[in-house]
Amino acid sequence: MPQTKLLLVDDEVEFASALAERLQLRGYDVKTANNALEALALIHTHLPDVIILDLKIPGMDGIETLKTIKKIDSTIEVIMLTGHGDVQSVAEGMKSGVFEYIMKPVDIGELTVKIDNAMKKRTKEQ
Amino acid sequence: MKHENGEDLRLLQLQFIGKILAGFTHEIKNYLAIIKESNGLIEDLISLGKTSQGDSEQYLEITRSIEEYIEKTNNLFRYLNRFAHRMDSQLATFNLNETLEELIALVTRFANQKKISIGKDFQEDIPPIYSNPSLVQFVAFSFLHEKIKNLDNNSKITIQTAAAENTVKLRIIPEGNFLKGNDDSPSITYEKLEKIIKQLGGNIVQEKEKETLITLAMNSP
Repeated sequence: MPQTKLLLVDDEVEFASALAERLQLRGYDVKTANNALEALALIHTHLPDVIILDLKIPGMDGIETLKTIKKIDSTIEVIMLTGHGDVQSVAEGMKSGVFEYIMKPVDIGELTVKIDNAMKKRTKEQ
Repeated sequence: MKHENGEDLRLLQLQFIGKILAGFTHEIKNYLAIIKESNGLIEDLISLGKTSQGDSEQYLEITRSIEEYIEKTNNLFRYLNRFAHRMDSQLATFNLNETLEELIALVTRFANQKKISIGKDFQEDIPPIYSNPSLVQFVAFSFLHEKIKNLDNNSKITIQTAAAENTVKLRIIPEGNFLKGNDDSPSITYEKLEKIIKQLGGNIVQEKEKETLITLAMNSP
């Protein structure tokens, strides 16, 4: 399987950089963005397979960002990062094509399983 | 929904506490996520044998980040604890700046979502007042939250305090564009908020277009 290209979108800079480094150590090609506009720009240059997207990012609502991503490339799989209690957003995200959800604080093992499953789905669809 | 009686007011206060708790728990989750990832990164670097003598600066940087977020978590818990104790008694002697400081700490997450900065312009030697601290926080929150909700991204809100004669003044000053079409009235009616403040011996004035000035008696009647 080719190296999975990830885009991690979270406004918590320290969280994004530490998680990105942990994913890189596990063999993923990772780029980070700290807001929606930066993320949308990176989609065109980095061409990610999977995007890990925080539900609450400044600049643009997470769901709105998800819809924009899917308009750019519907085969990009999106895993949403969420806190507890975002039930409404979870339901809305599912309707808009989210592949999976993961709760913060993240379990790295659980996240990598979800990333690999997302990549398998994308490879199958391409 | 009308807020004509005490029961409605209590319901609105409960909603206020709920909002504060939701913001608090979300922020704490974020801090814990940073601590967890930073700790996990050190663990990864050691267990994957990616360490060398030259990496010590990176380790120190990570441990400093962990320390910083433990401190932030501790501060937020301290503010929440103080906030909870404001409800211990209906009337108490308190420092307005301190009650606002904890309120700001607890609502910052809502403001951060829209990159709205909240600035403080407090009179440092403001005298203590004898009033209902949790009601004062509730009224201040009602105006502050509505301004956050209705201001455009990257705006600013300044909270100013000053003493004058036998009163203290709290001014909430928004700077930025208000979103068109948004309902900028507080979720509790203005009249109700005015009534609460009048009962505490003060008054509210909506200055200019969006500024709010709350005057409180130093000694509640």
